[in-house]
Amino acid sequence: MSSSYSSPLLRLGVVLPALTVLKLSAHLAGVSDVLLHDHQLSSPLTSFSQLQEGLYLFRHGIDPYNGGTFRHSPLLLALFSSVLPSSKVFMATLLALCDAVAAWALVRTWRARQNVPSSARDGLVAAAYLLNPYNFLPSLALSTSPLESALLLLAVMFASQKKAAPSLLSLAFLSHLTPNAILFLPPLLLLLLTDPHSHLASPQKISFKRHKVLPLAVEFLLYVGVLTVASTLVAGNLNWVAQTWGTWYAFTLPDLTPNVGMWWYFFTEMFDHFRPFFLMVFSVHLLIYVAPLCIKFQHDPLYALFILTGILATFKAYPTLADMGLFLSMISIFPETFPYLRFPIVTSLLHLHSALLLPLFHHLWLTQGTGNANFYYASTLVFACSNGAAILDCLFAGLRIAVGKEVDGYEVVQE
Amino acid sequence: MLPLTLLHLFLGLSASLLGAFASDHQEETVKGFFGRNGTSQSTHTNNWAVLVCTSRYWFNYRHMSNALSMYRTVKRLGIPDSNIILMLADDASCNARNKFPGSVYANPGRHLDLYGENVEVDYRGYEVTVENLIRVLTGRVEPSVPRSKRLLTDEHSNIFVYMAGHGGNEFLKFQDNEEISAFDIADAFEQMYQKKRYNEIFFMVDTCQANSLYSKLYSPNILATGSSQVGENSYSHSSDKDLGVAVIDAYTHYVLELMEGINKTSQSTMQDLFSSIDPNKINSHPGVRSDLFRRPLDKTLITDFFGGVSQIEVVDEEEGVEEEAGLAGGNGEDSVSSTATAQARSFVIPGRRASRSKRHTEPISSTSTTTEANEIWGWVGSSTRTWGAVALFGGLVGWVRMRS
Repeated sequence: MSSSYSSPLLRLGVVLPALTVLKLSAHLAGVSDVLLHDHQLSSPLTSFSQLQEGLYLFRHGIDPYNGGTFRHSPLLLALFSSVLPSSKVFMATLLALCDAVAAWALVRTWRARQNVPSSARDGLVAAAYLLNPYNFLPSLALSTSPLESALLLLAVMFASQKKAAPSLLSLAFLSHLTPNAILFLPPLLLLLLTDPHSHLASPQKISFKRHKVLPLAVEFLLYVGVLTVASTLVAGNLNWVAQTWGTWYAFTLPDLTPNVGMWWYFFTEMFDHFRPFFLMVFSVHLLIYVAPLCIKFQHDPLYALFILTGILATFKAYPTLADMGLFLSMISIFPETFPYLRFPIVTSLLHLHSALLLPLFHHLWLTQGTGNANFYYASTLVFACSNGAAILDCLFAGLRIAVGKEVDGYEVVQE
Repeated sequence: MLPLTLLHLFLGLSASLLGAFASDHQEETVKGFFGRNGTSQSTHTNNWAVLVCTSRYWFNYRHMSNALSMYRTVKRLGIPDSNIILMLADDASCNARNKFPGSVYANPGRHLDLYGENVEVDYRGYEVTVENLIRVLTGRVEPSVPRSKRLLTDEHSNIFVYMAGHGGNEFLKFQDNEEISAFDIADAFEQMYQKKRYNEIFFMVDTCQANSLYSKLYSPNILATGSSQVGENSYSHSSDKDLGVAVIDAYTHYVLELMEGINKTSQSTMQDLFSSIDPNKINSHPGVRSDLFRRPLDKTLITDFFGGVSQIEVVDEEEGVEEEAGLAGGNGEDSVSSTATAQARSFVIPGRRASRSKRHTEPISSTSTTTEANEIWGWVGSSTRTWGAVALFGGLVGWVRMRS
């Protein structure tokens, strides 16, 4: 499984600091100002300028959740108006550190999966996360979505190390930022109760202590409850629920700012009469993937979590590129699947294609004015297509390993 | 049995009487409001004017000048353009024969220009017809007619209707090809009465044999006056040597002369108006019809019809005390209250106004300090809350670390 790279440059201790410094210098060179308002890199729920506006309102005694513009969690409001400064430089530093922590967490997960204290591929895994443009561009754009990626990777890392409480706390904090993250709870619980090692090649029925599920779930809910209390304490009233969580699941999708997802276009042209129904359909759609994935990959819950990351990145309401970047970077901890990927080149070319089309059509529509929303919507469809191709390929590879290598004279047939 | 019946009867009667008096309370309040109107006793809340000139052609310059002088008067005394329907059958100011284009003068020597820069003519030229006049009065206009051409009066509107042109016995000529009769006007006013479109109407006519035009009226609350009796002509006043035509009619000239000396606060009455016209000077006998009019003429103010003056009371919200204003205020759309208060300061008892303004400023300053205090307290509160939340979060993290 470990590659034969032994170059000293690719040691983890070199890669992590080097790429973090590189990112910081890119920020200081002024790249952030260009990317700050990019719709691909930050959504209304993760935008830095909205965070600053909410902090300003909060500092001046006005309830930021009274209007309709501030949709960040009150926890971020509390942290940034007390402990952490809210300047751009600090935010860039914080996000660079977050990315470093996320890469480190990914490496630790990889090590736990391989059951080794260190391996030669560590640097490569970290570089796969840090050098992925889908990851470092949103953190240069000072969006809070890398924070969410880091929290998920931390949760996965702690779960791989069998540390239940920190894992559940990370997931609880993530759920406050993105309520969709609750969908990660089932695979995470399974991961906590089994092990992160790769059993893809030899699937067995899962065996875990069922009586331990409920206490863990209750612990998670307890953490969510305490964080809710803290949020309500900061906000002063319960307006924040409708403004933050309600943005996702209310009967109206209140913010239709274009992003790389597929909801916004659909709901710009939706008649009011049908909005609740289609919002319900789109929301429940996310739910239907959890159980089948957990059942099919019960022998390897980490892989189920990985696939779920990709699905949520494709189908959630306000995605940014960082969500997909997390999925694509996490592929690096499953090298056993690489030989079984059927069309990796097609997927990567599709991603390249959409990565070029998205900013181009966005510019054509909103800056230059010679295109219209359909252009950008088409590019988001291409992006979704490339995401779908990636997810399907990984899914197939994960299942195909169990069948084994092809042997001459025999054919693999699906019954 | 009998005592019981009598008791029931007594109870019923007293209950109904009580009910009658109870419902009278609201009426009493309203009557009291209008009763504080000084001597006028008028019950109107807004004023409108319909000014009609029915003749065209250059030599009927004076009829247009008549209508425009009444327009000037009512506008000066406070009725806004939105409440005036001005109908001019011809455009004298821009006539090719007008040596002074853009102007219509009211007297020889051209001292008073009636046309000015702020004239809004609603019905012009061939739009001035009998049908349009009756439609305007009764309110039965096509849906496409704009608001500026509608008479949007209600049951508390006082309307001043002025008509000038060539007339005869019980008719008035429109544009040389049709005429309106006194019966038509009477029926139109009756429709207005049935539809509650006026509180009181003052109907003034300056034509030959004008008094006949109001002879057929039969609706209540109409005061009418005309410039000449049946069999008499109404004469023009004088002509200007440079314009070459008569510039105004005699009757309207003397009315205008009286009006120029009146402002919004004037207490001159209609009796003063009627008495001021000297039949010898105008060579005709003006008439007045007041049998349909409830109020005495010496108690009816000129500004009840000519001006946009109505009873206003400013209620002090803080103290709940009503202050009598009796102010002059327009009933136009904008800045009514501001003009009213602006004029109030000029002639309401200064002492009372000064003390009132003091009372007004005090509460404002106290509320501003309380809002500041609220803000500071709010900020302190939010800071505490923020740190509390952060402490809670930090505590949770620490507890989790301890557990693992």
